[in-house]
Amino acid sequence: MQTILRAVLSCCTFLVLAFALVSQVRAGDVRIGVLAWLGSDEAGTQWTPFVQQLQEKLPGHKVLVRHFDLAGMSQALDEHGLDFVITNPGHYVMLEERGISRIATQLSDQRHDPAQVVGSAIVVREARRELQNLEDLRHQRMAAVSPDAFGGYQVIGGELQAAGMNPESGEPRMQFTGFPMTTVIEAVLQGRADAGVIRACLLERMLSDGTLAQGVLRVLAPRPATPGGCRVSSRLYPGWAFAAASATPPDLSRQVLLALLTLPAGDGEPGWSVPADYRPVHELLRRLQIGPYAFLRESGWRSIVQRIWPWLAASIALLLLWAVYTVHVEHLVQRRTRELRAALAERRELEMRMRNSQQQMEHLSRLSILGELAGRLAHELNQPLAAIANYARSLLRRQERGSLSAEALGQAAAEIASEAERAAGILNGIRGFARKRAQERSARDMADVVREAIGLMGSMLSQAPAFVIHDRLGARRTVLIDTLQVQQVLLNLFKNAWDAQQAAGEAWPIEVGLDTEADLCCVTVRDHGPGLTTEQQEHLFEAFFTTKPQGLGLGLSICKTIVESHGGQLQAQAASLGAGMEFRFFLPCHSHPASQPATE
Amino acid sequence: MTIDVSISVVHVVDDEAPFRRSLLFLLESSGWQCVGHASAEDFLLAAPAFPSGGGCIVLDVRMLRISGLELQRRLQEAGSAYPVIFMTGHGDVDLAVQAMKDGAIDFLQKPFREQHFLDTVERAVRLSLERHNASLRSQCAQQTLDQLSARELEVARWLALGLSNKEVGRELAISENTVHVHRQHIMDKTGAGGAADFARLILRANPSGLD
Repeated sequence: MQTILRAVLSCCTFLVLAFALVSQVRAGDVRIGVLAWLGSDEAGTQWTPFVQQLQEKLPGHKVLVRHFDLAGMSQALDEHGLDFVITNPGHYVMLEERGISRIATQLSDQRHDPAQVVGSAIVVREARRELQNLEDLRHQRMAAVSPDAFGGYQVIGGELQAAGMNPESGEPRMQFTGFPMTTVIEAVLQGRADAGVIRACLLERMLSDGTLAQGVLRVLAPRPATPGGCRVSSRLYPGWAFAAASATPPDLSRQVLLALLTLPAGDGEPGWSVPADYRPVHELLRRLQIGPYAFLRESGWRSIVQRIWPWLAASIALLLLWAVYTVHVEHLVQRRTRELRAALAERRELEMRMRNSQQQMEHLSRLSILGELAGRLAHELNQPLAAIANYARSLLRRQERGSLSAEALGQAAAEIASEAERAAGILNGIRGFARKRAQERSARDMADVVREAIGLMGSMLSQAPAFVIHDRLGARRTVLIDTLQVQQVLLNLFKNAWDAQQAAGEAWPIEVGLDTEADLCCVTVRDHGPGLTTEQQEHLFEAFFTTKPQGLGLGLSICKTIVESHGGQLQAQAASLGAGMEFRFFLPCHSHPASQPATE
Repeated sequence: MTIDVSISVVHVVDDEAPFRRSLLFLLESSGWQCVGHASAEDFLLAAPAFPSGGGCIVLDVRMLRISGLELQRRLQEAGSAYPVIFMTGHGDVDLAVQAMKDGAIDFLQKPFREQHFLDTVERAVRLSLERHNASLRSQCAQQTLDQLSARELEVARWLALGLSNKEVGRELAISENTVHVHRQHIMDKTGAGGAADFARLILRANPSGLD
């Protein structure tokens, strides 16, 4: 903290010292920059008397005068190397943006208006009689010192523009000769240019000091109002400005202004007046779109394009990017859609294949139940067949012995018929069960389905185990099921229960509990067999797990699949009371009443 | 030995009612007296006496509660003279082997040819008669031997084995004369004519009596 404070303090001290040093250097000097429009040498001689007079008026100061071209003066101002500038009206207006402010305007003579001092003349050779108006110059060559020169070009530029010509696009064709301005005169004299632009009074001065012969050049379209009797081709603008730099102390400005205003006006010595109104100059520069009004040039479409080009380019680039992105996204969307569609189709196909294979599995499982029951089934069929055979043989024997009574014949025939029907019944029961078929669901009363399954079991097995049904179903006792599939589940559970009890030599009835639990119909098949170990229970529903030597191990896994495909659940647990297992499955209750089972 | 079917009885034990009835019908058509039983328990409850004309039991192997094999075992324990013919709906080799070991006459697989069945029944009944007669003879011989004193029986056994009076006397540390007196008593009590008759009598009473 202290370190920072010390650093700040030392910084401030340094700044104060530096300022003091600079002030000390500048104290007493009045540094004046003068625009040398005729070149440094000419300017030196031109301004020497003025500087001497000013020095006399400012005894406590040392007047230092330096000559600059346009760019040099701007640079000197930027470097704070000047206290005052003396420059032409156009240049002054341009420099205003660097913070200078005029304190006086130069006069051409004491009596004249300071706002009507600077003008320009277009000179042509006397011999060019056809050149009378500005309009006549449209297709001629015109010389001027520089596009930056106020009296040397810009004033006439304004006039040409007012006459409907645009020198910048070659009406007339401009030639810039550079300073001094006499080179323009030379260009016109030598015929390199048809006309030349010069400051007002330059021609007159050259005529008077003999550097130019009389009757060789003339001023084109001279205006009546002329400052100091010089002929001009343009309107008049305020005189040169004496301006103070922004950093110049007001005291000094006041002293210099007083000195200027009290300078003795003499022959050839320009006097100084209070500052004139420079708005006409502003107006001119605005029309020409130069200096502070250069930005107006930028209103053309080309300049607009140039100005906004980075933005435009960025926008176009963004647009392009956006377009590319859109195309890319569209492409992606299409590809994804295609992929999605393909995936959906694949999934549908897979589902169909799974459904098919599931149906096949179910069919296999039903066949496997039949297979497991086959031994029994053969026995069941054997019995009626053997009985029938016995009756038939007996009848033959009795007939041979001649002891066949009508009563015996009747008894045997009745028995034969009944046994044949029994055999047919057994076969019918398994034929429907073994048939391959597609799934079809109907609303069924759960208890009916259980009773049918028990009936099916009974029709297959003459020694079918006894069943006890505990029907505790409530009002909601309907399920939407594929009857055959659920019967398959029930048969599996019944057969397992029966096998378990057979193995244990138990003759208990198999108990079937029917309950409604919330929205679920619950069927519990309880046996009194030896039960299963915990490990066996864990693997119970896995395919190919079996505790039976001849079992395929598909029964319960298929049962689980079937129950789950009906939106239900299949569970196994040890019976809560006594030995044995409880297999329980839930099916969601159906809201509509049961329909009659389809007759086959 | 001829069989009088009218005084022999064939018992059919099968819990499968239609089949049981068909067997009874078949047996009746051959003239057999026959009785059906719905379960092993029914048969044990009825406990029919062995008929004078012989008989047999036709037994289903698989029945609830008491199986056919179990019934066979119980009958053997009780010394029943009934031969057993087994029937089964299954080709169960293990059961068949066990049943035959336990003395079953035959093991028939349903459906069987009726002639074979009837022949087997006849064979069984004949066997039952033979066994019954043998049993009667044995009882008779035993009664005869029971009349002898312990010493006389001992002497009879040695004589039956072909020893002379002298040799028997040495074996039993008695005089030859004493053996001779015993021999006389034995012959008086049993009516036997000699050593060969002694042997026949002893073996009839007990096939392993001379071991």
